Amino acid sequence: MATVLHGQCGGMQSPRILTPRSPAVETSVVAVRGLRKSYGGRVVVDDLDLDVALGEVVALIGANGAGKTTTVECLQGLRHPDAGTVRVLGLDPVKDANRLRPQIGSQLQDSALPDRLRVAEAVRLFSSRRARDGEELLERFGLGPRRGSPFAGLSGGERQRLFLVLALLNQPRLVILDELTQGLDPAARREVWSSVAQLRDAGTTVLLVTHELDEAEVLCERVVAMRSGGILDAGTPAELVARHGGWAKLQFGADLDGEELASLLRLPGVFEVGSAAGQVTVHGERMMIAHVGAWLVPRGPVPADLRVDVPDLEAALLTLLDGSTPARSPEPSPTALIGASA
Amino acid sequence: MTTTTTPAHTSPSDGRHHRSATRRLVTTELRLMLRDPMTLTFVLVFPVLCMLIIGGSFGTSPDEVFPVNPAHWYVASYLSVVIGATGMIMLPVHLASYRERGVLRRFATAGFPRWSFALAELVVGLTSIAVGSALLLAVAGPVYGVPEVHDPVRTVAGVIVGSVTFVGLGVLLGTLLPSARSAQAVGLLLFFPSFLLGVGGPPPAVMSPALRSISEVLPLALATNAVREPWLGIGTGTGPLIAIAVIGVVACALAARRTAL
Repeated sequence: MATVLHGQCGGMQSPRILTPRSPAVETSVVAVRGLRKSYGGRVVVDDLDLDVALGEVVALIGANGAGKTTTVECLQGLRHPDAGTVRVLGLDPVKDANRLRPQIGSQLQDSALPDRLRVAEAVRLFSSRRARDGEELLERFGLGPRRGSPFAGLSGGERQRLFLVLALLNQPRLVILDELTQGLDPAARREVWSSVAQLRDAGTTVLLVTHELDEAEVLCERVVAMRSGGILDAGTPAELVARHGGWAKLQFGADLDGEELASLLRLPGVFEVGSAAGQVTVHGERMMIAHVGAWLVPRGPVPADLRVDVPDLEAALLTLLDGSTPARSPEPSPTALIGASA
Repeated sequence: MTTTTTPAHTSPSDGRHHRSATRRLVTTELRLMLRDPMTLTFVLVFPVLCMLIIGGSFGTSPDEVFPVNPAHWYVASYLSVVIGATGMIMLPVHLASYRERGVLRRFATAGFPRWSFALAELVVGLTSIAVGSALLLAVAGPVYGVPEVHDPVRTVAGVIVGSVTFVGLGVLLGTLLPSARSAQAVGLLLFFPSFLLGVGGPPPAVMSPALRSISEVLPLALATNAVREPWLGIGTGTGPLIAIAVIGVVACALAARRTAL
């Protein structure tokens, strides 16, 4: 006989959409209000608000066509917004392009350098008066031995690292990285991630545009999820997991009677307990894992098949971006007795 | 790659010799042009080959078709083949390739001055025309002789105005065409009729009235006449010079606007 017991979901809050405003607006590097952009009648970005604070590493994440690249192109002054205000470092990206662009380091989606331009020449070409030591940057990003190589001769990972070098060369106050690891093999992706982590550790403000969920989780302090030109939600990875990741699940083999199942249900953070075919399943907040563990230990050997599933950012964002209802409650077993108690 | 921790920012390049962004772009574009000789092959080799073949086909005596020595007629004419090949083929393909691959966007976001790329392309185009013209005359000299320049001021004015006009047209074409392949296709389609009707084909005297009417308004024919007439002393070239100057002003204005980074 299968049994499912439901408790109070006191620890869970109902989903809410947070404004993507950063907590430190007074040090805002990017401030966007009501941005709207359409191409030929097709709205690509619609009434978008976005803030990025000084020193933050923020991911703009969403599927292809979500409006991410158009948003950053408006930030860079490459596109004119149809409506709304865009301020980057307090400047209008279109009107103040000449003043602003030298302060932004950009890695663009689908861009390149002339095939025969050599690495060291690219560094010299892009070095403004306030450039840092390009040779040091090339060494730092592992391109020292390739300084004489033409752009066409670089691997995908080397090209992306060169773009990072060029983006950082002139000591930018904001770095925009658009689809940084697109088309790279796993090893090259790790190399590039390591480079971005260096930026983060150095306190550089970074806006990372990606549709790679794991990339956002590894690199970013705050994630802004976009769909159809608007923002679905924003927050730290932990906040998004809490809001959209669903419950943690703990499963083990044991024959528990009704009273034991009820005592499990009373543990802090436990929302639901089920038992079927000798398998006990407990759903709840992450912290219930510790309480269930502590509950199990005095009752003899810890079950060898104990398994824990904890939601991560990828699960949370998939739920969010797919547009489905957040997975708050697992589907009960067809044979379960909903609400039955001991 | 290294995995060391991030070092502190190194000091800016204060005190080091630093060239302006426009100079850096111009220098780089010229260096890349030299590094890619195949790009220049058409501009350098085609006019010389055609001049050698066609220039020797009609002898050296003037007749009712050629008002001057036919070889000299073609030597003076083929200078504008260099100009046309640069403006209608080399520059559009180069520029469309840059735009197609996102090179221009990268320059734009890197903060290069708005007109720096247009200026760089002007320098690249004029340099290739200068090199191509020098080569043409160097080859023509020992074979057919370089014809005497009857009106040096108007001839030089025709070369300069024609060159700037076709560089402007080339840059404009490069910004309008969606890819390097399409730029090449359209460029060849524009170049060869212009070449055959306006420069290197039969002289106007043997053309049908309809073809002659067309050839008289082709920009490359105007540029050719602006150079050839004062050079060979068969006219002042003032009308074609003014016409090509007007085209040049419009083309350069549009090109500069469209290539603004």
